[in-house]
Amino acid sequence: MTSWAMLESTVTLLARGALVSLWLALASLATGTGLAVLLMAPAFSRFGLARRAYRLFVWIVRGTPVLVQALLVFYALPALDLRSGPYVAGVIVLTLYLGALIAEVIRGGVLAIPRQQWDSARSLGLPPGALLRRVVAPLVIRYSLPAYVNVCVMAVKASSVLSIISVWELTFAAREIIERTLAVFSVLGLAAAFYFAMCFGIDRLGRHVERRLTPGDFAGERT
Amino acid sequence: MRTSLRRLAAPLAALALLLSTLVPAAAEERSRLDIVLERGKLIVAALSPTPPFAFTDDKGQLVGFDIDIAHLVAEALFKDPTKIEFVVVNSEGRWPAIESGRADMGVGGTTTYPDRAVRVAFTRPFIDSGISILVAKKSGIKTLADLNSEKNTVANLNNPQMADRAKKFFPKAKVLTFDTPSAEFLAVQSGRANALQIDTAVAEYFANTNKDQFDVLPQLLTPSQNNGIFMKPGDFKWWLFLDTTVGELRSGSWYPRYAEIYQKWFGKNPPPQKFYVTP
Amino acid sequence: MLKFQRWLEVYGAGYVDGLAWTAVVALVSAAVAVGWGGALLGVRLVGGRPGARAVDAYVQLFRNVPVLVPIYIIYFGFPLVGLAWPAVVCGGLALVLQNGAYISEIFRGAHKAIDRVQFDSAKSIGLSAWHTFRKVTLPQVIVYSLPALGNQVVLLLKDTSLLSAIAVGELTMRAKLLTEQTGAAYEAFVVVAALYLALVAVFEVGFGLAGRALRWP
Repeated sequence: MTSWAMLESTVTLLARGALVSLWLALASLATGTGLAVLLMAPAFSRFGLARRAYRLFVWIVRGTPVLVQALLVFYALPALDLRSGPYVAGVIVLTLYLGALIAEVIRGGVLAIPRQQWDSARSLGLPPGALLRRVVAPLVIRYSLPAYVNVCVMAVKASSVLSIISVWELTFAAREIIERTLAVFSVLGLAAAFYFAMCFGIDRLGRHVERRLTPGDFAGERT
Repeated sequence: MRTSLRRLAAPLAALALLLSTLVPAAAEERSRLDIVLERGKLIVAALSPTPPFAFTDDKGQLVGFDIDIAHLVAEALFKDPTKIEFVVVNSEGRWPAIESGRADMGVGGTTTYPDRAVRVAFTRPFIDSGISILVAKKSGIKTLADLNSEKNTVANLNNPQMADRAKKFFPKAKVLTFDTPSAEFLAVQSGRANALQIDTAVAEYFANTNKDQFDVLPQLLTPSQNNGIFMKPGDFKWWLFLDTTVGELRSGSWYPRYAEIYQKWFGKNPPPQKFYVTP
Repeated sequence: MLKFQRWLEVYGAGYVDGLAWTAVVALVSAAVAVGWGGALLGVRLVGGRPGARAVDAYVQLFRNVPVLVPIYIIYFGFPLVGLAWPAVVCGGLALVLQNGAYISEIFRGAHKAIDRVQFDSAKSIGLSAWHTFRKVTLPQVIVYSLPALGNQVVLLLKDTSLLSAIAVGELTMRAKLLTEQTGAAYEAFVVVAALYLALVAVFEVGFGLAGRALRWP
C-alpha cells in the first residue's frame, strides 16, 4: 500500500476514533450531569443518612481508579443483554465517575454562594421552586463553571481508559494501527494531536462561555 | 478531606454489601438459540487481532478466517450472512464477553483445553492448531533448546496455558505478557522480546508478512490442537446447533463453503472431508 | 463475608505483591515528578520569556492528552529507537512526565502566593539569589503547595492502575490475572477496589500529617 494511502486510511480511522471518544465523553457528561443534579438531593438532605450515603458514593468513586471501575462494570456485573455491550458499559462507568465529580463541583458551587446572597434571596419571599430556578441555579452555574469545564476535559481523557475494556475509540484505534504497522510515534502522535484538539477546544470554549456569563468584575481566577 | 483510618471499616463494609447486591441473577431459562433467532442478529466476540483468524484491515474492517466462519453461522441462522455484529475482545475479555451474555458465541484462534472447558463450552474443532514459537532472525535462535536461556525474552499471551508452557519448555528465558497476539508481535518487532508463543497459523502469518526478519521454529510446543467456537456452557440447544453447523462445514453439506474460505486465508486445500471420499 | 475470607486466604499473597508494586511505583514516581516539576518551575523562573513559553507549552500538552498515550508511546515506541526499558520504567516515566506538568503548575501557584515584598527585602539585606531561593522561596513554596501536592500524588496513585495495560504487576494487573485464572471477577476486583481506597486514605493521612509538621510555628 502506498504511503499516501496508508496515511489517509490512518488519519481517517483515527478521526473516526476521535469522534467516538468525543461522543462517549459528551454522552457521559450529559448523563453524569443529570446524575449529579439528582445527587444534590441527598447531598444537602436533612437526613444524616442520606448525606453520608452521598459522601460514601463520592468517596468510593473518587478513591478508586477509573480503570478499576471500568473493569468491575465490564467483568463483574451481570449480563446487560444490550447490543453495543462495551459502549454501554463504558457510558455507565463514565456516568458514575463523572457524576460523582460533577456532583462535587455543583456542591462546591452551592457552598461558594456567599451568606449574604442566601439571606437576600430568602428575604425576597420567593417560593422554593422559583428560588432554586431564578436565584440559586444561575449563581451555582457561574461559580462552578470553571471546575465543570475541567471535568469536561477529564471526560475526554477518561474515555481513553475505556480502550482497555475493548471499547473502540481513539486510543484503541491507535493501538490497532500501530500493532499492524509499527508506526508508533507517528500514529500515537496523531492520536495525541486529536486529543489535544478536543481537550484544548473544550477548554477554550469553556473560557468563552465563562466570559459571556460573568459580567465585568466577577472575581475568580481560572487555574 | 481528612480521613482517619478508623472510618475505613464502615465504608468498606458498605462497599462490599453494595456490590454483593449486584451478583448475577439466576441463569436464564431460554436457550440462546431462541434469543438469537428472535433478535434477528448474531453477536460474536472476536479475539482480535489474531491474524489470519481475526484482525482489522487498513480500512478498520474486521476480517479473517474465523470471521468468515462466523458469517456462515449467521447465514445458517438467518439465510443472511450480514445479520451479524462483532465485538472485539482481548485475551482475557473473551470469557466474560460470552459468560455475561454480551456475545452469543466467540471466535478468534481460541484453542480447546480441558481446563478451559470447565468454564467455557466448545464446539468440535473447525480448524486444527498447535502452538509455535516465532523468533526474530537476528536472535540466532534455531531450536527450542536455544530459546531456553536467560538472554532471551519471550512474549506470551496472558492465559495460564501459555504460562505453563513457558515454565515447561523455556524456564530460563524471561517472559513478557501481552493481551493480544499483535501486541506480542509488536514486542518482537521492536526488539523488546526476541520470540513469541502463539498459534501456528498466526505465527506463520506474521512470518510471511515479514519474510526476512522472522522464522517459525519447526518444533511445535503442543500436539495437534483444536480451535473451535466457544460459548457459555449449559445451553445444550445452542451448543447443538453450533456444533452441528461446524460438523457440516468440516465434513458435510457445507464443505465446499469451508474449502473456499480455507483457500482464501491459507492458500491451500483443507483436510479432506472424509478419508474415504476422494475429492 | 465468609466468601471473602476464604478468597483472601488463598490469593492474599498475590494482592500483597500487587499492593507493594503499586505503592512503590507511586512513591518513586511521585518523588521524581516533584523533582521534575521543580525543575520545570526553575526553567520558568530563570528562562525568561522563552523559558516560560516552553514550560507553558509542555504543561498544555500533558494536560490535554490522556496519560495512556505517553505510556504507550514510551512502552511501544522507545524499543524501536533502541531503548527497550522494562515496563515499569516506561510507565513510571510517563507518569513522571504527566504529573510533573501538573506539579509545576502547583509550584507556580505557590510561588506566586509569596508576597513580592519578601524578595525585595531579601535583596536589600544582601542575600544572593541562591540564598534567597533556599531560605525564602523554597520553604514557602513547599508549605503552600502541600495540600494541592497531596491531591496530585493521590491522582498519580490512581493512575498507576493504567500501568496494567503494559503488564506491570501492580494491583489492577493482579486483579486481571486472578480473573483470568479463576473466573471470579467480582471478588478479584472488589478486593482491589478496597485496597485502592485504603491506599488513598493512607496517602491522604500521610500528607495531612506532613502538612501539620511543616507548618510555621
